[in-house]
Amino acid sequence: MKISPLRTSAARLALGYGAIFTLGVGALLGTVYFLTTRVLENEADAVISAELEGLTDEYRRDGLSGLADELSFRADSWGQTGAVYLLVDANLVKEGGNLTSWPFDGIPNAQWTQFDLKSPREDDKVRMHPVRASVSLLPDNHRLLVGLDVTQQRRFASTFRYATLWGIGLTALAGAIAGYFLSRKLTRRVQSVAATCDAIVGGDLDRRLPMDGSQDEFDALALAVNNMVDRLAENAQLLRATFDSAAHDLRGPLYRLRGRLEDAGRMPTTEQPVRAGIDAALTELDRVQRTLATLLQIAQAESGMAAAHRATVDLAELITDIGELYEPAAREKSMTLQVQATGSCCVNGNRQLLAQLVANLVENSLKYLAAGGHIDIRAQRDGETVWLMVADDGPGIAQGDRTAALKPFVRLPQAQSTDGSGLGLSLVAAISRLHHAQLLLEDNQPGLRVRLGLAAGA
Amino acid sequence: MNLLLIEDDLEAAKFLQKGLTESGYAVSLAVDGRDGLKQAQEQAFDLLITDRMLPHLDGLALVRALREQGVRTPVLVLSALGTVDDRVLGLKAGGDDYLTKPFAFSELLARVEALLRRSAAEKNVPQTRIRVADLEMDLLSRSVTRAGKEIQLTAREFKLLEFLMRHADQVVTRTMLLEGVWDLQFDPQTNLIDVHMSRLRQAVDKGFARPLIHTVRGAGYVIRDEDKSA
Repeated sequence: MKISPLRTSAARLALGYGAIFTLGVGALLGTVYFLTTRVLENEADAVISAELEGLTDEYRRDGLSGLADELSFRADSWGQTGAVYLLVDANLVKEGGNLTSWPFDGIPNAQWTQFDLKSPREDDKVRMHPVRASVSLLPDNHRLLVGLDVTQQRRFASTFRYATLWGIGLTALAGAIAGYFLSRKLTRRVQSVAATCDAIVGGDLDRRLPMDGSQDEFDALALAVNNMVDRLAENAQLLRATFDSAAHDLRGPLYRLRGRLEDAGRMPTTEQPVRAGIDAALTELDRVQRTLATLLQIAQAESGMAAAHRATVDLAELITDIGELYEPAAREKSMTLQVQATGSCCVNGNRQLLAQLVANLVENSLKYLAAGGHIDIRAQRDGETVWLMVADDGPGIAQGDRTAALKPFVRLPQAQSTDGSGLGLSLVAAISRLHHAQLLLEDNQPGLRVRLGLAAGA
Repeated sequence: MNLLLIEDDLEAAKFLQKGLTESGYAVSLAVDGRDGLKQAQEQAFDLLITDRMLPHLDGLALVRALREQGVRTPVLVLSALGTVDDRVLGLKAGGDDYLTKPFAFSELLARVEALLRRSAAEKNVPQTRIRVADLEMDLLSRSVTRAGKEIQLTAREFKLLEFLMRHADQVVTRTMLLEGVWDLQFDPQTNLIDVHMSRLRQAVDKGFARPLIHTVRGAGYVIRDEDKSA
């Protein structure tokens, strides 16, 4: 199975942690930003309040002219540091301070206010300075404005804001990159595990999962899987040995039995009824030996040990041959057999085994179809897969019986009356597995449709 | 004709030896690979029949050793393994034919005859026309005539008839036909070959007084001019 690095649990985990971490960093930096700007603002406000209070005291002590003197004095000293003063009369006309005119339209409602101050620079460009200010109403309807140029604070806050946003962005980016590489690393490892497991399932019981000795969770998993495969291989070996020796022990005597029977049949002194008996016995013996051979073939294919001789096989050609071979037999039973192959249907496989597979399916159809039945053999390439199909309009196999039908010696109800060994479809399944093919038993409505999907080869 | 049979199952070997002797062959017996190789090197045989699995020296190794020494005697390999791969390996090692156990004795006999005939025929120049009685096949124009009358055959029927005619006067079994004409090595459950043969007979023998294609009970088919042999 192909795993996309973006859809793994590792990717989801990295994404989740990345999001939480980014949120955390964002909250932290946001709080610091908020608190810092507050502190700066409060500091400015405190300075302004103190100034305003001091100047109001001055007014009380020395009156309006005293305040104006004080203002022009302060504007020269404090004014250099960004302090702004303005004293206006009831009509908002300037009476003192370092501002040229009243900066507002009317009178601001709030105690704290701000405005922008235009300051001409040497290069004739106008620069805007934000000023935070407070206005105090003096007893004779004069107003005193004290403000502070907060350009530096604003610049600091803005820099801080940029830094915060960059910080959050970089954190998210770093999280995403780390997550991607982590996920890719895990995906590779999982994929190598999956590939090895596939090979093992495919019959290569000598394969084991790699362990890098790090004793991490993958090593633990690999160890567990390897132990399981060891056990499987042991069982397979045992089964194979048992099977081989049983088959061997059966084959020898059967071989000799055939020799004996044939020898007896050839003797000129053997009388006709005995000869007939011998012929019947030989026919039965044929069946036993054929069943044994088929079983051996299934066992060899299933064990994956049959390093089957592989070559490029054109299924289109193969089914044409098989179709032509079986067509007269079908016609004799008043059935029709049709072969249809489209495009190049080359696969990498064993021609004899694939021929056997198609033949078994066709023979099954011939066995179960009533006169007038129809058998359809097709090969078709679909992308990277070549589909081989044998379909008929016979009794078919009930949905629930389809898995069982592929197992050795299972004979379905409709097969009870025929003389099959119950191995035909198991051999089909074994050959299909040997070719790593996908075997599907489907409803042909009515009838059985068997489809085999093989990887297209050169 | 001198045959050497190399088979470690002594009892089975005896039956084969007996059957082959009754069919008119002189059969020597070897019970293991080493013995078989020694006999094959010391004496000239017309044909070797060897089991695949033998003590001391494997049947395929034996064939390979003989071929390396330039011994060209045809070899029929018998195998109990019965997978397709064995057949490929057997033929690759230098065997000329391969027979999977269990087999009917008639099958073995037919193949022995075919191999002996083939090794004799190989000395001749390749044919372009084959004749059996008044049946004539032109391999170049791919046409068949009988008594001067053209017979229409499908491509497969032509191949089938060609196989029979190349083995004229010899019994060919159904498995030999399946292998030789269809290049298929499995054992069909139904009587496929018989159906094909009956169609070929329709084309070749129908309307003629003397049938040329004959069924050999329990063995297979033969194309033969009976008048000539009679």
